[in-house]
Amino acid sequence: MRRALASIVAATVALAVVGCGGSGSDVKTEGGNAQLTVGVIPIVDVAPIYLGQQKGFFTKRKIDLTLKTAAGGAAIVPSVMSGEFQVGFSNFTSLLLAREKGLPLKVIANGVSSTGEQGKDFGAIVVPAGSPARTAKDLVGKRIAVNTLKNICDSTVKASVRKAGGDTSGLNLVELPFPDMPAALAANRVDGACIVEPQLSQVVAAGGRVLTSMYVDAAPNLSVAGYFVNEKLLKSDRDLVDRFTEAIKESNAYADAHPDEVRQVLSSYTKITADLAPKLTLPKWPAEINKDSVATLGKLATDDKVLTQAPDLNALYAD
Amino acid sequence: MRTEVPPAPVVAPVAAAGAPRRHRNALRGAAGVLIALAVWELVPRVGLVRSADLPPVSSVLRVLAREAGTGAYWTAIGQTVYAWLLGLALAAGAAITLGFALALVPRVRAFTTSTVEFLRPIPSVALIPLAVLVYGTGLGSSLLLVVYAAFWQIYVQVLAGVADIDPVADETARSYRFSRWGRIRHVVWPSALPFVLTGVRLGAAVALILAVTAELVIGAPGLGLAIAVARSGTEPALVYALVLTTGVLGVLVNVGVRAGERRLLRWHASVRREVPV
Repeated sequence: MRRALASIVAATVALAVVGCGGSGSDVKTEGGNAQLTVGVIPIVDVAPIYLGQQKGFFTKRKIDLTLKTAAGGAAIVPSVMSGEFQVGFSNFTSLLLAREKGLPLKVIANGVSSTGEQGKDFGAIVVPAGSPARTAKDLVGKRIAVNTLKNICDSTVKASVRKAGGDTSGLNLVELPFPDMPAALAANRVDGACIVEPQLSQVVAAGGRVLTSMYVDAAPNLSVAGYFVNEKLLKSDRDLVDRFTEAIKESNAYADAHPDEVRQVLSSYTKITADLAPKLTLPKWPAEINKDSVATLGKLATDDKVLTQAPDLNALYAD
Repeated sequence: MRTEVPPAPVVAPVAAAGAPRRHRNALRGAAGVLIALAVWELVPRVGLVRSADLPPVSSVLRVLAREAGTGAYWTAIGQTVYAWLLGLALAAGAAITLGFALALVPRVRAFTTSTVEFLRPIPSVALIPLAVLVYGTGLGSSLLLVVYAAFWQIYVQVLAGVADIDPVADETARSYRFSRWGRIRHVVWPSALPFVLTGVRLGAAVALILAVTAELVIGAPGLGLAIAVARSGTEPALVYALVLTTGVLGVLVNVGVRAGERRLLRWHASVRREVPV
């Protein structure tokens, strides 16, 4: 009894001590290699970093990667701020929102980009089989699912509707996670959805129809997401950040040139089945961020009052 | 005149009817499970729901068998069980220590009651943003939620248990000049123990729910994260296989805690079987 009590007290104290540490942003080094933890989402977009890790693009630059899958993007920004992750992956609208809230983050590399081809992109507005809608304009007054309100889907769907000559004030956007969209479309609980791969292929396989590619409507060759760090890391170890950026650029170029390997690496971190993997529309992974397209995203978000003022785009990037 | 019907015996003779009845109940239970599984198999097969939304149980079990052959599956279970067990132990340790300490000093208890009554109803999941901010996406976040949820379940039971001491036993101990520690050890602890263990049993169930929730929502490693990853994939049967796993885990936790309770309370009237006369 007494011993049990003592060990319980010891465990409580240990937990408290553990809880106090771990908020520094110092990067550990092991065997000369910097240990970087990168927060990613288990989706197609981050395939290059997994490929780059396999191909040794990071170790040859003295970086050991630990890739941690967060359940959603929402947990990644705070974890990069607290120092648990050194690098995070997030879409540019979220990053602009975070900057506006005063979070000290800097984008260091391009994450994933639209293919730029209308009707052949990795994200699309889809409607269920039998829907009368022909263009994005027909969506006005209908229930359209987006994964997060006041974020990139929201902005780009409105861009598509505007481009087709519709009035966005009549749009009825509802929030629904991507994985729930195929079922909601099939049951006609929503009349359309802003969806990305692999759910896009699932919807098309179930008879759904692509109405338009919202990323293509929003801007030519839109940069959708990027890798970012805490400003503190940029100040304390610029060289490490530059090495990471170089490694990501090489990984992106490799992924772009080797789509078959991308489809293979998917099975290592997602649960996309082997029958669907060859059918996915892969995104593009250009080395550089298309800053004009990010500026357009910023303008869309400002026009829709998602951002309260025009973002300071120069402050967003590390370089 | 009607003949008087003798009153039915209040307590059925255990030795006589117990065994066949238990047997029959087990049979009924098994039949219930089989019927539930058959319904699950049929509903998607006859097209009441799309099999993409609810795959038939046979394909879920096939996926489950495939997963059971992989290390990742067992690692995820291990991570969830670890967060659950560690969280429950910390919550129980803290609740028992604090509960006994406070209950024995009534003045302090009066000071803390209002705070406790304020903190207790806060749902643990409401602390998710705080957990992410302080502990990130690791084990720490899981533990914060698990400990917070399980702590109150046990703590309230400890307070009730300590308040329920038989005054005769307590005064007897006092007249025999038991030390304070002796009274705690020989009077307070045994009479509070059934309450404490009820608290632990309630806490264990809540702790498992919160462990899986933390993994699902925050992305702490474990079964919940595996479900989240499977969900963004394209194999619905895998999601159900993992959900089924959490269900089995829940049943095992409940059975295990009940068995432990019976063992620790062998001597107590609620567990002890009366010898039929």
